[in-house]
Amino acid sequence: MRIQVSRTGGFAGIERRAEVDTTGRPDAPEWHALAEQAVTAGRGAPSAGVPDGFSYEITVDGRTVYAADPRLTPEQRELISRVLKEGA
Amino acid sequence: MTTHGGFEPVFCTVVPPHVLDRLARNDDPALSGPARRTILRDSELRALRQVNTEYGLLAAPAAKAPSDQPLRTIYDAEHGTSLPGTEVRAEGQDPGRDATVNRAYSGLGATFDLYLKGYRRHSIDGDGLALDATVHYDEGYNNAFWNGEQMVFGDGDGEIFVDFTNSIDVIGHELTHGVTQYTANLTYNGQPGALNESMSDVFGSLIKQYSLGQTAAEADWLIGAGLLAPAVTGTALRSMKAPGTAYDDDVLGKDPQPATMDEYVRTGRDNGGVHINSGIPNHAFYLAATALGGYAWEKAGQIWYDVLTGGELGERAFFTDFAKLTVKAARERFGSGGEELQAVEKAWEQVGVRIL
Repeated sequence: MRIQVSRTGGFAGIERRAEVDTTGRPDAPEWHALAEQAVTAGRGAPSAGVPDGFSYEITVDGRTVYAADPRLTPEQRELISRVLKEGA
Repeated sequence: MTTHGGFEPVFCTVVPPHVLDRLARNDDPALSGPARRTILRDSELRALRQVNTEYGLLAAPAAKAPSDQPLRTIYDAEHGTSLPGTEVRAEGQDPGRDATVNRAYSGLGATFDLYLKGYRRHSIDGDGLALDATVHYDEGYNNAFWNGEQMVFGDGDGEIFVDFTNSIDVIGHELTHGVTQYTANLTYNGQPGALNESMSDVFGSLIKQYSLGQTAAEADWLIGAGLLAPAVTGTALRSMKAPGTAYDDDVLGKDPQPATMDEYVRTGRDNGGVHINSGIPNHAFYLAATALGGYAWEKAGQIWYDVLTGGELGERAFFTDFAKLTVKAARERFGSGGEELQAVEKAWEQVGVRIL
């Protein structure tokens, strides 16, 4: 499973993107569960969000959903944070 | 005018009294507590209605003038994401040990001060709205935002950003999003969104200048100076004086802000580039303010404030709509033959925004 996260906006307006390929990873099932929950709770189109809030695009195996601060589910927050931290 | 026969129907309880009564007797405090409070509140309201009726006080409560003092509350999210978090400093309390809390508190005060003393505006809604801010939001959170009701500040990750309360203009920036929300309510997308961002940068910078007593010539015209971690190559996040030059770093990339319409960036990202194209109106403000000299909040700031709060600026205004209104405001406030009008016209011409 390929999980891509892109973060735009924010006070600085600086973009960040990263991706994780779970193939062969021992913790793949954990990633898959998290990604599925995050995508299920995502929106089909970007929303304006709050001023200076981060906007996120989460793409899992080609399917893209949108989310924005501060209204993230705990699973979305964790997935975004892990991908941006551990992904390349 | 509509009358409600004595009192507002919104006070009426939806749960029938007999159900409330049974709940209030329940052994489980989770059930009995709220029910008891509802009964108590209802009886208080009934007593109040009676007093109001007897003394004829129901016709609109006397309008109370908003206070000249801010009403600040700082909360600590303790690295979580629940808002607002735990209250750590209320209005009038002495500074505590947490420098972040103290900076947020004084930044809110500085913002309140400029709006009150510079423009006779009482807080962000013009009616004494309480100012709430949450610090230590999330872990290593590289951002600050306005959620429609309050400010939220992250600590930064220490690698790219440090504590977002470090820059007073960031605090002023976030609160100005509140002022915009209560006034022109510029849509946070595309050109109106970039204008919304620019309002926050303009007044954020003016709040810093006002608190430091700086003239337009003395000001640094930077947004977020002191926010970048030591390893980052850059001086700030944005420069109103020279958009596009605030940073140029291996990790962050280069400051993407344009200074003129020739370099306008068309993008779907960042709500249509709201933090990018804001460089154009930002630079126009800088040009007008420095041409006029003296304290920037007195003339250029007054003109921009008149447009933001004057009621003529539409929610979906483009740069040119805003620019035309600043020309009108300059004329109305300072006269047709004044240097103010000239400086404003010239500033927009220099950044390539049409005012005709």
